[in-house]
Amino acid sequence: MELLENRALPEGGFPSRSGEPFRSDATAWAILAFSQLDPAHPLLGSARNRLTTAQDPDGRVSMSREHEEAFWPTAVSVLAWHGSDVHEPHCTRGVQFLLKTTGRHPSKNPDGQAGHDPSIPGWPWVDRTHSWIEPTALSVLALRVTGHGQHDRVREGIRMMLDRQLPHGGWNYGNTTVYGQELHAMPESTGAALAGLAGQVQEGTVSRSLDYLQGEVDRMRTPISLGWGLLGLAAWDHLPSNSEALVKRCLANQARYGEYDTSALGLLLLAALEREAGTKSMLFPRVTHQHLSAAHTR
Amino acid sequence: MSDHSDQKSTGGLTRRDLLRAGAAGFLLGSGLLLIPKRYFRMPQEAQTFVTKVAHYQLDIADAITRGIRELGVVPGELKGKRVLLKPNLVETASGAPHINTHPLVLRGTIEAFLRLGASAVMVAEGPGHRRDTLAVYEESGLADVLTEDHIRFYDLNYITGYELPNTGRQSSLRTLTFPALFKEVDWIVSVAKMKTHHIAGATLSMKNLFGVMPGIYYGWPKNVLHHAGIENSILDINATLKPHFAIVDGIVGMEGDGPILGDPKKAGVLVMGRNLPSVDATCCRIMGIDPYKVSYLERADNWLGPVAEESIRQRGEAIAAVRTNFELIDTIPAQKGIRLA
Repeated sequence: MELLENRALPEGGFPSRSGEPFRSDATAWAILAFSQLDPAHPLLGSARNRLTTAQDPDGRVSMSREHEEAFWPTAVSVLAWHGSDVHEPHCTRGVQFLLKTTGRHPSKNPDGQAGHDPSIPGWPWVDRTHSWIEPTALSVLALRVTGHGQHDRVREGIRMMLDRQLPHGGWNYGNTTVYGQELHAMPESTGAALAGLAGQVQEGTVSRSLDYLQGEVDRMRTPISLGWGLLGLAAWDHLPSNSEALVKRCLANQARYGEYDTSALGLLLLAALEREAGTKSMLFPRVTHQHLSAAHTR
Repeated sequence: MSDHSDQKSTGGLTRRDLLRAGAAGFLLGSGLLLIPKRYFRMPQEAQTFVTKVAHYQLDIADAITRGIRELGVVPGELKGKRVLLKPNLVETASGAPHINTHPLVLRGTIEAFLRLGASAVMVAEGPGHRRDTLAVYEESGLADVLTEDHIRFYDLNYITGYELPNTGRQSSLRTLTFPALFKEVDWIVSVAKMKTHHIAGATLSMKNLFGVMPGIYYGWPKNVLHHAGIENSILDINATLKPHFAIVDGIVGMEGDGPILGDPKKAGVLVMGRNLPSVDATCCRIMGIDPYKVSYLERADNWLGPVAEESIRQRGEAIAAVRTNFELIDTIPAQKGIRLA
């Protein structure tokens, strides 16, 4: 956390790396990590304020003014503002943007090139492109946390993620098979999807993906894979007993890779803090599988 | 960045060019306008270098140094220059090292450029499939090599970008956004893998440059480029970025359902040159692929560089001596009918 604190900009917010200017994605992930650590952390107010300057009137939060089409930071910004009364109007505008926004969704082509059903709406990384797993998982999490868990868009997002689950377990960025061959699973996408689906579907529906992630987690040495991996397992109460050691190993690997960027570090620290007993999760309420909505199971 | 391309237009028309021009004129006169643009362009020339390297434990640095010299790169062009190497790191899978540029090819390339006077060499990549670039860097074995050699690796997916006008104008994208790091380097070298591709036909040094486009602006996969047209985007990126050199790792390439799920194919070669379309055309011929049936190469011909065999001066091994037909899958439209006669 000290490394992140040292990156805080005097005018509020965070850069991707020390010495660089403000970035919306970095700021939102840093806010989530600090919020998980201490909801009254002194850096939170100014960071949330700074993040509001990156929001357009239509509610989107983009990578930059020059790249308003790259609006994927909106979902994580909604999560970052959530719970702060002062920032509730921004949170609400972000939610409204998510609810009205989707990707390009052509009909399923019978030529067999892609195995998934591209017509099921989710969320894209960038405007006017197809919907993919991680932005859909983040949008579903943002909408659920802000009380829109029963909205049709959330139901569609859940259906989209289930459609993209790989036959042998796990998810990648969002393709299943191409020309009949199954593609490889990826830990970061799998963790994100499992986090988005927790509490929404029965465990049996995703058990093969949980098996995949549990089999991979000891090998994860890098912050995005490990961060999402631990969050995905934590969401289903399957956090490994050695998670603290895995996080420490990953942090130590900065000697090898250089300092992690703020978004990756924020994600990793959020995952590390998620396991703390008695803490309120920034991403999802604790899973109560017996309360699953029948509408969300299949 | 400075432009060191050796491609050049030639005023000397060959008999084949005249026949093409005559045929084009006849067809134009007949009102048939479906003639590829390349027939109306002035022919260009370039040279490529092919060397046999049977396996990765051989002296790759020596082979690359020799190739760069034979291609006419003089010491003054590299002395004190900062060189950025862009490998092909896509994703990793157990037992499939042939997905990515081999780490020892990167080590050899780094050593070659340092020997030839470069002041700094760095390696940078922004994988299209994985958000976790460091995981690919680690699992591909490249992290071990670069850590040992004290060479810096940059994750291009998260670097704030700068816009350039899209000078290729093949897609509807008005501008292209490149990582700001590129403003700080003098040479950009595509260090690609020799692979078949299920959408583009073949992925070589030109297609490899998809990985320079930051994921924070283009997504994972780089779907903005897919919607703009993969071939259009390959041409736009190359026309706008103007990379300086290419080296293709064909020691063990990939055939069949590339770029991820294909089988390893030992071609035992490194192919290099200053002009990327020419390097890729030569690679195609080595793979037994007709480069004129790979859409983006056909369109690049005599615009971004020559593709015709007679326009590419071949140094090192002759193509016929190293040709190794890569398996093509007829049920994949991009690979159907592209076999070189």
